[in-house]
Amino acid sequence: MFVERGHPAPSPSSTRRHLRPIVWAMAARSVTALVGGYAAAAVLATLAARLLPVDRVEATGWAMIAAFLIYAAIGLWCFHEPRLARVAGIVWGVALLGGAAAWWLGVRP
Amino acid sequence: MSVSLRQSMAWIHGWLGLLAGWLLFAMFLTGTASYFRPEITRWMQPELHPQQVSTTRAAETAIAYLQRTGADDLQWYVYLPDARTPLTRIYQVPNPAAAPRQRRDEIQLDPATGRPATARETRGGEQFYRFHFQLQLPHPWGRWLAGLCAMFMLATILSGVITHKRIFADFFTLRWNKGQRSWLDAHNVSAVLALPYHAMITYTGLITLVTMYMPWPILANYKQPADFAQIAFGLPAERPATGTAAPLVAIAPLVADAGRRLGGPVARIIVHHPNDQAATISVARRSGTSIDAHSPTVTYDGATGRLLEQSGAGGAALATAGVMLGLHIAQFAGPALRWAYFAMGLTGVAMVGTGLLLWTAKRRRPGAAAFFGLRLVERLNIAVIVGLPIGMAAYLLANRLIPAMQPGRADAEVATMFWAWGLVALAQLLRPARRAWREGFTLAALAFAAIPIADALTTTRGLPGSLRQGDSLFAAFDVAMLVIAALFAFAAWRAGRAPAPRSRRAARAERLSETVHA
Repeated sequence: MFVERGHPAPSPSSTRRHLRPIVWAMAARSVTALVGGYAAAAVLATLAARLLPVDRVEATGWAMIAAFLIYAAIGLWCFHEPRLARVAGIVWGVALLGGAAAWWLGVRP
Repeated sequence: MSVSLRQSMAWIHGWLGLLAGWLLFAMFLTGTASYFRPEITRWMQPELHPQQVSTTRAAETAIAYLQRTGADDLQWYVYLPDARTPLTRIYQVPNPAAAPRQRRDEIQLDPATGRPATARETRGGEQFYRFHFQLQLPHPWGRWLAGLCAMFMLATILSGVITHKRIFADFFTLRWNKGQRSWLDAHNVSAVLALPYHAMITYTGLITLVTMYMPWPILANYKQPADFAQIAFGLPAERPATGTAAPLVAIAPLVADAGRRLGGPVARIIVHHPNDQAATISVARRSGTSIDAHSPTVTYDGATGRLLEQSGAGGAALATAGVMLGLHIAQFAGPALRWAYFAMGLTGVAMVGTGLLLWTAKRRRPGAAAFFGLRLVERLNIAVIVGLPIGMAAYLLANRLIPAMQPGRADAEVATMFWAWGLVALAQLLRPARRAWREGFTLAALAFAAIPIADALTTTRGLPGSLRQGDSLFAAFDVAMLVIAALFAFAAWRAGRAPAPRSRRAARAERLSETVHA
């Protein structure tokens, strides 16, 4: 699918040269979805648990229940959005900035 | 060019489903079998005929046994018998300060006498149950892998729903004998028919291990994470031992009192620091009495019998989590609902299985040589869809064929399951794929048909006898094995038929009518 129809078949080495950036891009996207998606979902759930204005047991419970849905939605979006830079920037950005915010807020007093 | 949501979701649906498909098939199949975990265990210990006694009597005999064998233990766990599990199960945590004693496994007691039950050593239905979420891998890797597969399943369900343009029409569409089209229809029917079940069972499965998979919200709200578990699950506050001896109060009045306070039958007793002044006795209600699986608990002072605390009703979030857990393990379900759960679980098995077959059916081109990936997926499909059921049948057969008193037989049963599975997975490589399907299904049919025969030959509770005596559990088990054998025989017959020749025009019309999904 990486070779246009009608052109002579490329030598194996040139196929590999063409293939490599695509393989790397897909690997980066997969790692972002799997690891970055988990980190972003965990951070969003943690912030929700910390900031929801309800009893701490309740806030913790709801955040944990919702966490998997957030993770699944982030993971699917990672493969829907064509621009890899946008995917990586938003997912890792949410994970890092949100993580910093959660660390700065600390444990609920 | 931007890709439509449906196209990208169709693409990700195919790959997620393929990558996790084989493990998900195994998780669905063993999980479905686990709805009958206590019944499988009882079938696998045919020499037991325990008599039913009252809960208080069972508690008394269990505590008497524990006083004889481990009066200075750190903790005692007692799981009292009920209608489905007729034996008392106990577990002791020995005191590390006392004479070093080997950490023991769970012991089964006869509730009438309080003596260890003498029956063949087996892991019973517990094997399928544990495999369902631990995949026979060392802790914690099996649970993490199972969780990852469940996440893939969740994402696959969501993307599958988005992909589907005619979810209502597919409800009524099943075209037989049309090759790939039929596999797609079968996949759609099994998926859409039980969609609420699949979504529910996947999400609630993740919730069963949420404190392991997603512990971070707890850290945001509690300095000591154990505090959350204590509040959420009604565990008693930890009291250190004083070192001053004080005899444990009689258990029977406490069990009766707890039953009144909790408003239902008692299922579990946990004793901390027995025979110490700081001893506590926690009594929990049976979880099967409501959908909420978090069972309420009362805790008493072990030296005086005074009531210390009663775990209150949690808030909405905890109740939701408890109900989700309860919906997953289905202990609340009576026989009819349990069979419905079992049937739903089988639609899950069918959904994953047909999805895997669809992946190969879609890529096979008549007359063209199969490429490596197609052959690999086809072989893995045979290894799992045919191999795992044969392994499960071998496990049940081993239970009847390994001598009842042989030491180490429980491990040998488990080993038999995986050797049989592995041998089938390897042996099929020697046969052409179509024949491997047919011969594999035939072998599975023979293996399941052999189970009632082995039962009749090696025990006194074979099918003719159990039918005459009204032993419904043993009769139903053997009949279920025969039904499974018949289903595999049908599959072998279908797989053996040559594919119907397709006219070129029919094939072309079919290609034109393919959905994005196909």
